Amino acid sequence: MVHDLGGAPGGPVDKSQHEVEDWERLADAITIVLDIKGIKTTDEHRRAQESLPPEEYKRLSYYERWVAATETLLVEKGILTREEVDERSAEIEHRWGGA
Amino acid sequence: MTAFEPGDRVRVRPANKPGHVRTPGYLKGKTGWVESVLGEFRNPEDLAYGLSGVPERPLYKVAFRQADLWDGYEGPADDLLYADVYEQWLEQDQGGVA
Repeated sequence: MVHDLGGAPGGPVDKSQHEVEDWERLADAITIVLDIKGIKTTDEHRRAQESLPPEEYKRLSYYERWVAATETLLVEKGILTREEVDERSAEIEHRWGGA
Repeated sequence: MTAFEPGDRVRVRPANKPGHVRTPGYLKGKTGWVESVLGEFRNPEDLAYGLSGVPERPLYKVAFRQADLWDGYEGPADDLLYADVYEQWLEQDQGGVA
């Protein structure tokens, strides 16, 4: 299982620092607020991340996995639809000039 | 009332349960001993699917000899690893050479 790596050879560790980006702060805040509001639990969020296709799990960064899991749970619970998320994403991408 | 007490020899079940489990793969089938009982907590395996997680399950701090976990372990023989393991993942060690 791609998320259960303990004891597996991992190769060199990338210790370089990087700036926390605004969207990462937002991803963290939204995910935690959903816990506080009782809409989801940490265990559900972990399960949603672990359910990502393995190649997707490996490709995504830490907070990209968080966002993907939060989306999965919001859709599962009928709070948002995939279509709504995709539409809004397209809108934002358009506003930012596709950058 | 818990199934195990500090000092009991235990083996981690070698099961492959689908879904979200907190028991790491490298411990499955390995033998150690209960260091302490940490309390009872809602079951994360059920919480992961939006269920209530009750009844709460006992959680143990379990000690393992590093040499029992890793082939060819070269560190000191008394090196230990501690892991939190839920009761449903433990069984009484049937003895034999640890």
